[in-house]
Amino acid sequence: MSTDTKSAAVVRKSSANWLFGLTLLGLLLAMCIVLSLTTKSFMTEANIMNLMRQGSMIAILAVGETFVIITTGIDLSVGAVVGFCTVIAAWLLTHDFSIFATVIITLGVGVAIGMFHGFGIVQMGLPPFIITLATLTSLRGIGLLVTNGATINIVNDTFTEFSRNDFVGLPNLFWMVILVGVPAYIFLHHSRYGRYIFAVGSNMEAARLSGVNVKLTVYLAYTLSSTCAAFVGLLLAARIGVGNAMQADGWELQAIASSVIGGTSLFGAVGSVHGPLIGAFILATINNGANLLNVNSFWQRIITGLLIILIVYFDQLRRRRG
Amino acid sequence: MVGTNPHGQAAETAVAAANVPILELRGLEKRYGATHALKPADLTFARGEIHAIVGENGAGKSTLIKLLTGVITRTSGEVLWEGQPVALATPHEAIEFGINAVHQEVVLCRHLTVAANMFLGDEDVGFGLLRKGEMTRKAQSILEDLGFQLPAHVLLGDLTIGQQQLIATARASIRGTRFLIFDEPTAYLTRTEAAQLFALIRRLKERGVTIVYISHRLEEVFELSDRVSILRDGTLVGTRITAETNETELISLMINRSLEQIYHKEFFPAGDLLLETKNLSGPGFHDVSLSVRAGQIVGLYGLIGAGRSEFVLSLFGRHRKTGGSIFWQGKEVDIRSERQAMDLGIALAPESRRDQGLCINLPVGFNLNLPIFPHITMAGLVPFSADRQRAERQISDLQVKTSGRGALVSSLSGGNQQKIVIGKWLNHGARLFIFDEPTVGVDVGTKAEIYRLLARLLAEGAGIILISSYLPEVYELADELHVFRRGEDVARHAYHAASHEEILSEAIGV
Repeated sequence: MSTDTKSAAVVRKSSANWLFGLTLLGLLLAMCIVLSLTTKSFMTEANIMNLMRQGSMIAILAVGETFVIITTGIDLSVGAVVGFCTVIAAWLLTHDFSIFATVIITLGVGVAIGMFHGFGIVQMGLPPFIITLATLTSLRGIGLLVTNGATINIVNDTFTEFSRNDFVGLPNLFWMVILVGVPAYIFLHHSRYGRYIFAVGSNMEAARLSGVNVKLTVYLAYTLSSTCAAFVGLLLAARIGVGNAMQADGWELQAIASSVIGGTSLFGAVGSVHGPLIGAFILATINNGANLLNVNSFWQRIITGLLIILIVYFDQLRRRRG
Repeated sequence: MVGTNPHGQAAETAVAAANVPILELRGLEKRYGATHALKPADLTFARGEIHAIVGENGAGKSTLIKLLTGVITRTSGEVLWEGQPVALATPHEAIEFGINAVHQEVVLCRHLTVAANMFLGDEDVGFGLLRKGEMTRKAQSILEDLGFQLPAHVLLGDLTIGQQQLIATARASIRGTRFLIFDEPTAYLTRTEAAQLFALIRRLKERGVTIVYISHRLEEVFELSDRVSILRDGTLVGTRITAETNETELISLMINRSLEQIYHKEFFPAGDLLLETKNLSGPGFHDVSLSVRAGQIVGLYGLIGAGRSEFVLSLFGRHRKTGGSIFWQGKEVDIRSERQAMDLGIALAPESRRDQGLCINLPVGFNLNLPIFPHITMAGLVPFSADRQRAERQISDLQVKTSGRGALVSSLSGGNQQKIVIGKWLNHGARLFIFDEPTVGVDVGTKAEIYRLLARLLAEGAGIILISSYLPEVYELADELHVFRRGEDVARHAYHAASHEEILSEAIGV
């Protein structure tokens, strides 16, 4: 090896060191500071509240998705579940179900979809990619069939106001992130089944031979993911005031991206709850910032993709050294 | 090099070139963190010699192979290839030199034909298309030339493991190989296959290829090799000319302590009956009837694939039995799940650390506590203090060398990983411990610790089933020794009631 390439390597390492020092939260804050300096409209109350609303729904999806990814699985259906559940919620509300009943039944639909995924994976032995891809397309189809391709308007102000209102200075939607995030954190990091999710993702056979109920754990992870998605479906229905099966198109990819930006490993057994939450808000901030900076929306997609590559690349480097 | 040589005479260098060893190691050393896998070793390999390397499991043989084939990089020391210092840092570089290895487990593509495997990466191509017929003919003639009666057109996966091994060797032999390493090649071979392999090795030697032959079987070492090097606990303890040494000397160099010192055996009066199987059958074994009492070690000996592991996996609820019955403390039980077996009081430290025993990319403490989370869970949550106490007690009891309970298991040495595999069951309060190959890939010191641990468990009133493919181990430790062959329990012997030779021939079936 020549001295030139060596010194280049040293330079690259030291600059990388600086980047490793940035935690994800630091990255998010840095982006906010840069945007507040470069645009006038970023640090306004209206924009911050809007940003929180934008990020919240993906954040909740990402938490659910993370449970699945830690088991080395994948859930491609979450976007479709969100869209489907807006239809369910809208249909129930227009048929004079109470809000309480609507919430319970819609979440129940989420549980059922998750159980179905568990059944496909555990009992039928299908790869998670396939079974969730199948429900992705089928659920959109069922939603379109039920509504005949139309949109159901929700005429229930109490329901739709929820997504627009604030509580103690923060948007209700952001409170929902906390409502999901805190129990999810306790579950994943401090409960027995949370640990089983890691064990199954690390080595299914070793987990089984240690007395872990692997099947139940897989069921649990997919059920949690779909239930989170159903919950987001309710929030989205409230926010846009309609039920439409084609809503939330591509959200599964944003959820997966948020999770991976937040440090979840697609090889399993590595992940947290706070990481994906921050990841979701990083994505939201990128989009928000690009809008404020008047970046062409076509370019936004490209930039988002490149940033995902960069963030995850550096995060992996940091882990390998750690 | 040449410039600094004070004697620059051409004749002398020419003579030297012929005598220069093909490969020379100077102070070659490998550390994994705190583990000293290979202490500085000086070793030369001459052209066209068969150099055997012997040593116990964990003596550093596999580390040495990985260093020679560029799979891992050395911590310090020099490697000289034909007198020139080389990096030997990647497998690609090793292959460029002509260094190849034939591993115990065949690393070829089972779904391709024999011919396709032999020419993999070096295909015969005409007009951009594979010339399959031509390659099959060529492969067939190479195989016949080597004296192997194997078809070149069948899928590799259709051959036996032994035949696949021969194909792997044939593949290495046509690749301009100059330095060929065999890692326990005869472990899965029949006698005829082994004889064919030896013939091939001698033929390669005649062509000037240097052979490194690693084996546990000393008789093969004496049959085949010119020189033999002995490794012990990561140290190269010596090199002998094979004709000038004998088995006794090799064994004493390999072990350097008497058998009694390693095998810590204590006798306890047989207690109550823990487990009994009657004509138990299941996937991989049939008609096994045996019983285990408290204070007793029941040893299961046999060749690899004799059905011992399958038997204990069925006892542990991993596979369902297909016939016969199991009695636990006198009562018939139908063990349907691992959790049920654990609740009865059975613990299993499985055969493969990596595949069955450990969550390798999770922390030490996590692995130690994985079986007992249900016991320490309170109100659905795992209390931090219980989690920490249990893990740290096991780490200190077993003297696990780790930076802490938060360290990943993958950062530990093989011996310390094995301590985790075993240690995770010690908090569980089991009465019957099943240890499947507990000392494979473990250094001698840890081995002794494990044997003392067995005695401690017996003293506490537990019973043990010990599976080992290493006869001296089960022979010295088991109160009752069962010999398995092809899924059947073919013989049982009381402690030291039969000779090694008898037991071995029962296991092989001659």
